[in-house]
Amino acid sequence: MGFFKSKLKRFNRDNKQKRNGNSEHELRIDELLHRCKESADFVSYRYSESSPFYIHYYQTIVDINILHQYVLPYIKENESKTLFDLQQAIPIDNTEIIDNVHEIRDKLLTGCVVIEVKGSLQEALVISAVSLEKRPVSMPEVEYSVVGPKEAFVESIDANINLVRKRLPIPDLIVEEVKIGSLTKTRVAVIYIEGITDKENVNTILQRLNEIQFDQIVDSSFINQIISDNHNSPFPHLIDTERPDRVASVLSEGKITIIVDGSPHALTGPTTLVEFFSAFEDYFLSWHIASIFRLVRLFAVFFSVLSTSLYVAVLTYHYEMIPENLLNPLIASRSGIPFPPILEAIILELTIELLREAGARLPTKIGQTIGIVGGIVIGTAAVQAGLTSNVLLIIVALAALASFTTPVYQMGNTIRLIRFPFLITAQLWGLLGVTFCFSYILSHLLKMTSLGRPYLAPVYPLRLDDLRDSLFRLPFFMQTKRPLQVRSPVRTRFQPKKHEKSKRDIED
Amino acid sequence: MFPLPKEDKKVSPYFVFYLIHAMQIGVGILGFERIIVQTAGYSAWIAILTSGASIIGLIWVSYRILNKGNNDIVAIHAEIMGKWIGGFFSFLFLLYFFAFALVVLRSYVEVLQVWVFPEVSEWIFVLIIIFLAYSYVTGGFRVVTGVSYLGILYGLPLLLVKFYPLQYADYGNLLPILNASPAELFKASKEMTLNFLGFETLFMFYPFIKDGPKSEKWAYFGVLFSIFIYLLTAFVTFVYFNQEQLKGTIWATLTLWKIVDLIIVERFEYIGISVWFFAILPNICIGLWCASRGMNRLFPVSQRSALRIFCLLLFFISVLLTNRQQIDLLQKAVSQIGLYTIYFYLPCLLVLQYIIMKVKKA
Repeated sequence: MGFFKSKLKRFNRDNKQKRNGNSEHELRIDELLHRCKESADFVSYRYSESSPFYIHYYQTIVDINILHQYVLPYIKENESKTLFDLQQAIPIDNTEIIDNVHEIRDKLLTGCVVIEVKGSLQEALVISAVSLEKRPVSMPEVEYSVVGPKEAFVESIDANINLVRKRLPIPDLIVEEVKIGSLTKTRVAVIYIEGITDKENVNTILQRLNEIQFDQIVDSSFINQIISDNHNSPFPHLIDTERPDRVASVLSEGKITIIVDGSPHALTGPTTLVEFFSAFEDYFLSWHIASIFRLVRLFAVFFSVLSTSLYVAVLTYHYEMIPENLLNPLIASRSGIPFPPILEAIILELTIELLREAGARLPTKIGQTIGIVGGIVIGTAAVQAGLTSNVLLIIVALAALASFTTPVYQMGNTIRLIRFPFLITAQLWGLLGVTFCFSYILSHLLKMTSLGRPYLAPVYPLRLDDLRDSLFRLPFFMQTKRPLQVRSPVRTRFQPKKHEKSKRDIED
Repeated sequence: MFPLPKEDKKVSPYFVFYLIHAMQIGVGILGFERIIVQTAGYSAWIAILTSGASIIGLIWVSYRILNKGNNDIVAIHAEIMGKWIGGFFSFLFLLYFFAFALVVLRSYVEVLQVWVFPEVSEWIFVLIIIFLAYSYVTGGFRVVTGVSYLGILYGLPLLLVKFYPLQYADYGNLLPILNASPAELFKASKEMTLNFLGFETLFMFYPFIKDGPKSEKWAYFGVLFSIFIYLLTAFVTFVYFNQEQLKGTIWATLTLWKIVDLIIVERFEYIGISVWFFAILPNICIGLWCASRGMNRLFPVSQRSALRIFCLLLFFISVLLTNRQQIDLLQKAVSQIGLYTIYFYLPCLLVLQYIIMKVKKA
């Protein structure tokens, strides 16, 4: 008897649970629909009096043509009353019958039509009919290049992955997707080439992505900041690029790319400091020209960061350093100026920053006017009014110009920022102050890592192989190896053709 | 008891070149010429060679000790002499490393005060430099190696400006070539050795070198490069100054920078002294790193707190040394200690290690 009793009890309990589960299930799907109906764009109706099917969708994210052409006619024709039969009849792939309310909700919110049968609230047929607004692939604006491909990423993640996959038609190109953001549920894709990319790097990125606790991921720059190795660093850790060609090239080097839905910028890494000063156009030009351009850019960075602070340091403390022939023009331009060099420099630097900021916020056409007004009118007026010396004006303008040569915008911002500590230390301790500031930044850079890899490579740690494509770019036939920085398991990119020393004579 | 560092904290063997060279080129080079010339006249360049050769011999000794011990000096001391006596000697070594950083720091600040900012009180510069050194040392040995490597790279262009004094050179100054007695030369070599001090830090960072025994040749190259730099510097100074003039010039190399005459820069010494900071910084960083690392190995303190203590000490002692005499005294004391350490203690240690290893095995 006791045995039976316990069995009965268990039976009852199981039954109860089942029923409870069911009722919860029913409740939830009802609740879900109820909650959805609070939105004005949620549509929910029964196709006709005779039909058992209820149709639910958000009209704002569903392609109504798909519904009209491929769904409704088959509902009308279909005599059967089950979802399964309807699924068979509808000529759309990827339809699913789902009985999990959470999944149904997610599908509903990402642009699916949900069909349920009257009375049976356990399951629903989910038909994908997404219609997402996206702009067509356009020209790159931030990383414009004169020669080379002219397509740039857009906001849609699928379009972006399409642009990358088109350039790398190999099955080894792996896309791993995660959803991040408790509110935005942003799709984030991690792309790499299996076999070429170090698994450890991939795991580092995936682990950091999965650890993100944030409500909104609106752009890839959010990810860039959140997963960076050192949150207090003004230097960017990953390169953001809008060029699919750059991404394809970087992927085949063994690096990893992150593409975020809603962002026209992909992130690539691990990266090094010198990479921020290489434009992708360098690869389109012959290697001598590209190398010279890179060196010019590097010089521009140093000039942009140091020139005003050196001016302040020399004129405040070490005026003995100025040679006689330079002294005359300097005195002529500085005599009668009421401010010490530091104030002069800060005023002008701030003016340039103002111009830049104003130009960036305004529409392009007005922005140009601002540039002209600011550059010519304010500059000339300031000199004529005797507020600043025109030597400094030249230096500041050149420094600003030089800072624009940085190909990666994020790095350009950093360079804008780090001149100010240099200015202040130059005022405090002259040339020594500049040295102190420089060595502090150096200590920061030495400690910095990008995805755990040293940021200052290939300069430190010295990697001679990687130097071939860093400060300068040697010809392609010498770039036989992938950078050591990415720890690729397959270091050789291609087998170089044996260069036969031609023994032919001149006229042969 | 004395675990070896993790593999990802280590640096490649060739960095020993930079580490040793960076330690040997410090403040000394700005004014070593006068000291060796006072005893041996213009034959003193031979002293550079002889003392350099002796340093190479000592590096050979060091590597024999280290390769056998395969750990740093603290562990080797403990193995040979036991916990207490060995620990005591290790502690002395740490103090020496600390004093080395102190001497370099204080001498450089003195140069700053004399040549660039006579009106700024020394504690400001001491504070800033210690702060910078702290920020490097907290990055670990890899960062410290990085600063020695980059410091040398930044300092190298300064060799180019040696060209300017050569325009006014009088090569006859060097004749006759050998104009000093062996005793004088010996004394000058001894003085010269002080400039080569600093390679002893090898005893602390040896475990941080990937495949330590392989780094031996790089250590020799480092010393050879130092010898070359000292010889070149001495040569340029000797042909520019005459002997009597040089005896009255405290910072001969610095004075020579005044000769440099570029199109856009006069008074090159301001730039020179600023750039020279990158040669000074590695000395302080390596010294502090060795001292703090040793504290961590000897006592149950974290390296970070040991470093903080040493930084505080460094600051207070540097500020307390106010005049030339005190700095000179400190320099002499540290270099005497260093001298006896490398010439007497290291060979003794080698023999002792050999005997004790034999006994232990038997």
